[in-house]
Amino acid sequence: MSDAFIVGADMIRFGRHPDRTPFQLAAEAALLALDDAGITIREVEAIYAGSTFNSASMVAQRVLQLIGQTGAMCVNVSNACAAGATAVRQAILAVKSGEYDVVLAVGAEKNPRGLMGGPLTEGPPPEGLFGSVAPPSIFAEAGMVHASRYGTTIEQFAKVAVKNHHHATMNPKAAYRTETPLEDVLASEMIAWPLTKLMCSPNVDGAAAVVVVSERKARELGLARAVRVRGSVLVSDPYEARAPEMFDPNSVTRLAVGKAYEQAGLGPEDLDMVELHDCFATAELLHYENLGLCGEGEAGRLIDSGDTALGGRLPVNVSGGLLAKGHPIGATGVANIVEVVHHLRGEAGARQVEGARIGLTHVLGFASVAAAGVHVLEKA
Amino acid sequence: MERGMQGRIEAPVGRRTLVQSDKTQAQPAHKAIRVAADGSAVIEGRKCVDCGAVVADATMACRACGSRTPLEAVRAGPGGKVFSWSVIHRSYPGIPVPFVSAIVDLDGGLTLKGTLRGIAPEAVHPDLAVEAVIDDAGGILDKEGRPYVGFHFVPKGVGQ
Repeated sequence: MSDAFIVGADMIRFGRHPDRTPFQLAAEAALLALDDAGITIREVEAIYAGSTFNSASMVAQRVLQLIGQTGAMCVNVSNACAAGATAVRQAILAVKSGEYDVVLAVGAEKNPRGLMGGPLTEGPPPEGLFGSVAPPSIFAEAGMVHASRYGTTIEQFAKVAVKNHHHATMNPKAAYRTETPLEDVLASEMIAWPLTKLMCSPNVDGAAAVVVVSERKARELGLARAVRVRGSVLVSDPYEARAPEMFDPNSVTRLAVGKAYEQAGLGPEDLDMVELHDCFATAELLHYENLGLCGEGEAGRLIDSGDTALGGRLPVNVSGGLLAKGHPIGATGVANIVEVVHHLRGEAGARQVEGARIGLTHVLGFASVAAAGVHVLEKA
Repeated sequence: MERGMQGRIEAPVGRRTLVQSDKTQAQPAHKAIRVAADGSAVIEGRKCVDCGAVVADATMACRACGSRTPLEAVRAGPGGKVFSWSVIHRSYPGIPVPFVSAIVDLDGGLTLKGTLRGIAPEAVHPDLAVEAVIDDAGGILDKEGRPYVGFHFVPKGVGQ
C-alpha cells in the first residue's frame, strides 16, 4: 500500500462570482492545482468532486468538459460541509489502494444566498413554532451549553471572529479582508444570541483543488514541495441522547480526531497549525476542546491567551477560517487542506506559520445528522 | 397565553359523514404529538425496551443500540428543564422575531426543541423549570381545512 502525497494545491479567491458557473469555478481551481503540481490533465487518472448544492450536476465530468475529456474515472460526492474533505479522502484512498498514481480532488460551490436551511416538510413550517432550525441557532445553542457549563462569555466567542478576520487580511484568497475589532463584532446585527452577524460564516462561492499522488509519482515529480498524508479520517455522528433535537458537533469531531491521531501516531502537542471548521464563532471554541488543543472548559482562556493567533503557540485558522475566508460549502474541506499544504512548504506569504511541519484540518458537515473529516499532513 | 389552547384541542364539530369527520380531524404538527380520536393531544416519545434510549421519531430500529424490538410509546412531560437555548433575532422571511429557541429535557427522558414563551429572553437560564403546553400550531389549517396541534414551552407555573 502506497503512502499518499499532495503535490499540487490551490484555490480561487473566495467571494461572489455571479457571472460564473460552479463548473467554471471548479475547473479554474483544478487548473491551478495541476499547474502547482507541474502536471497536465492527461496524467490524471481519477477525479473526485465534492459539492453540496451542485453535486447532482456531475461536477467532476463538467470539469473535464472544460479542461480535457480524458475518460478519467469521475466520482461526485455530497456530504454537507464535509463534501470537500470527503473528495480528498476518496482521492487518498484511491492512491493508497494502489490502483491509481495520480488523482485530482476538487471542491466547488455556488452557495444559495441568505440564511440556509428551512426544511421542506408537510404541515406548518417549524421555524418559530418549534424553536429554530436555522444553522446560526443550532450553533448558538451548542455554544450556550459551553457558556452554561464553563462561564464562556460572548466576548470570548467574538474574539474568534476578531482573530480570524485579522488573519484574512493577510490572505489574498479570502473573501473578507478587513480588520474587524471586537467592538465591531459585538455591534454587528444580532442573529442568534450569542452570535452576531460577524460571528457567522458568510455564504460565498469558491473552489479549491489538490493533486494526490503515490510515493512513486511523488519521487518522480520531486519531494521538495510534497506533503505526506499522515492521517485521513471520515466518520458519521455516533448516537447522542439529545440529538438531533440538540445538535452535537462535539462527539462526531472527537471520534474523527481520535482516529486521526491514532492513524498518524501523534497527538495535539505535535501540531504546528490547525485549520478547523469555524462555521460559527462558537464552533471554534468547542473544537479547541474537541481536538484536544486545550483541556475541558479551557477554550475561553485559550482564545484569551492569544496562543491560537498567528505568532502564538498553535495558530488556528490563519487562512481567515470560514468566518473571513468564506464558506463555499463543498470547497471548504479542500481549501483548508490547501492552506496547510502552503504553510508546510513555506509558501504562505505574510501569514506563514514559521517552521510549520505538521498541520491538521477539520471539517464538520451537518443536516440534522453529521459527518466529520480530519486530515493530518506533514512536510515530506 | 400568546396563542393556542392549553392541554386539549377541541376538534371542530362536523357533519356525521366520514368525509366531513376526516376533514375536521386535528393533525399533529410535530412528530412527538399524538392526537386521540376525541381530539385531545399529548407528547410522546419512543423508548427502546433494550437500552432505554428515548427518541422523538419513529425509527426502524433503535438508533442507540440497533435493537429491532419495536420501540414503546412513552408519555413525556409536561414538566421539563431547559438544557440550552438561543434568542433568535434573524430568521427566515416572514417568521416573527425575536423568539426563544429552547432545548428542553422533558420528564420521561425525551428531549425536544421548542419555542419558549412567557419569559423575558434575558431571564432564561440553564435548568429553568418549564412546561410543555399543547397549542394550535399558530392557527394554521391544512389545505383541507383541518387544524394542527403543536406545543410550546412556558416557565413552570405560567401556564396555569
